[in-house]
Amino acid sequence: MLALLFIIFAGLAVGCAVAVVAQRNPLYSAVSLIGVFVALACLYVMLAAPFIAAVQVIVYAGAIMVLVVFVIMLLNVEEEERRRPRLRFLVPTAVVMAAILVAETSFIMYSVRFSPFTPTDNISNTGITSQIGTGLFTRYLLPFEITSILLLMAIVGAMTLARRSLRLSPTARILPGAQVLARDVLTRGSPEDLTAIEADSSVEAARVLGVEPPIKREDLE
Amino acid sequence: MNLTINIVLYFVAITIAFLGIMLLVAFTVLAERRVLAFLQGRVGPNRVGYGGVLQPFADFIKTMMKEDLNPAQTTKFIFFLAPMIAVITAIMSILIYPFGPPITIPFFGTVPLVIARFDVALLYVLGITSVGVYGIALAGWSSNNKYSLMGGLRSSAQMISYELSLGLSLVGVILMAGTLDIYSIVEQQSGWFGFHWNIFYQPLGFIIYLISAIAETNRVPFDLPEAETELVAGFHTEYSSIKFLLFFNAEYINMITVSMLATTLFLGGWQGPLVNQFPLLGVFYFFIKVLFFLFLYIWLRGTLPRFRFDQLMSFGWKFLMPVAILNIVLTATIVAYWPVLLAKLGLR
Repeated sequence: MLALLFIIFAGLAVGCAVAVVAQRNPLYSAVSLIGVFVALACLYVMLAAPFIAAVQVIVYAGAIMVLVVFVIMLLNVEEEERRRPRLRFLVPTAVVMAAILVAETSFIMYSVRFSPFTPTDNISNTGITSQIGTGLFTRYLLPFEITSILLLMAIVGAMTLARRSLRLSPTARILPGAQVLARDVLTRGSPEDLTAIEADSSVEAARVLGVEPPIKREDLE
Repeated sequence: MNLTINIVLYFVAITIAFLGIMLLVAFTVLAERRVLAFLQGRVGPNRVGYGGVLQPFADFIKTMMKEDLNPAQTTKFIFFLAPMIAVITAIMSILIYPFGPPITIPFFGTVPLVIARFDVALLYVLGITSVGVYGIALAGWSSNNKYSLMGGLRSSAQMISYELSLGLSLVGVILMAGTLDIYSIVEQQSGWFGFHWNIFYQPLGFIIYLISAIAETNRVPFDLPEAETELVAGFHTEYSSIKFLLFFNAEYINMITVSMLATTLFLGGWQGPLVNQFPLLGVFYFFIKVLFFLFLYIWLRGTLPRFRFDQLMSFGWKFLMPVAILNIVLTATIVAYWPVLLAKLGLR
């Protein structure tokens, strides 16, 4: 029964993985990758690690792949055309790498089979949520915290990169023809002067208009 | 032999739950039309059967008989796959809800009224919900239609954003219960004449859950993916016949499962007066509570106008998420220091 289920899910995972590479439509590849993740989650359940399975589905299938699909949908990526392969020297390299991978895998299987280590009785407890929680917050606390700081840095970095560097006041308005131009760039006397200018930033716009560069917040106060 | 009996029992349980949910969907649709008509001073469908009880079935047959359109230049396979993802992920989460306390059937033994009970039930629900986004997103993309694409994009953005606060609002309950197993969470809420229900300990979490659940199921006032006035019908503009029916079903099944989760986590599941004497009463209480939430959905639809998309996003990220995190911090602090405080006061 278990062997049958394993063959089904493993076959699904391998088939979807092949489809990821073989499909020419990027969205089909993305959908196949979701299939891989779901099949892997099923395998984790069979290995008595339900928590890992659930997290796998939530994080990979539910969050990361949604972003990938989102980007593919937004960019309107065309189907890839089949070209004549360039970089021919990569083919023998790939064969050698594949051979090394197969050798490694078979060595691991060999050494596992003949290792003197015998699994303990409570091996089915390791995948339980409370066990993972206890492990994360006692024995592996330092790696856990370091990982969370790493993630925090990534969030801050993404926000810094995505944020506009302009200081726009609440009364700022966007002029036609210009990218973005704060109202206080213009001369104080004529606030309704909506001259259209071609510029990428308000500093450049100010130079084009021949007025003072954007007023800094601290100068106002 | 034992394994075979178990498999047969699972099939029986799943079939009963499936048929029950489908009937509930049919009558929720009818109830929505009648209640909405009442709220808007109309009569609503009341001709097919007594008071319109057969209306959903008539609608079903009519929709099934329509032509199954397949617009030009659609991505055929994904166009076909999307409604199936939507409905399968919606219906998969009914596996874990305990509908009532264990029931003793004469000549057979005690039967728990839950299909599957396992360690990570709550995470399972979250995972299934997060995969459900693909149904809508892929439907919008594969239809090769501007309005569909806009609907699909909007809904995936919306569902990703509100999934976060949905998950975070459940963390408070998990912290208090100390388990992810829904069955034991329900059992912990017994006694004290209903004052052990989590809604009294987690009022903030309950409100956040309710709001983000409504957004997660794309219902009014968060129904931007299918805003009729802007997007024709959003992601299912190009769908007809049985594929449309599947999307329609998925939406209502999602409403029901989300209400079931609210019932089990915050309103004590099947707990209620006299449940210990008459276990079957638990099933009745459970569905009364679920129906209350379904009525709330319809009521909101009759009352509230739609959000604007930027309002929706800033509400989700800048208000709901911080409040949910605050709720987690408060709950964790109280859970950690409550025993210490009790010991200091000499109460334990």
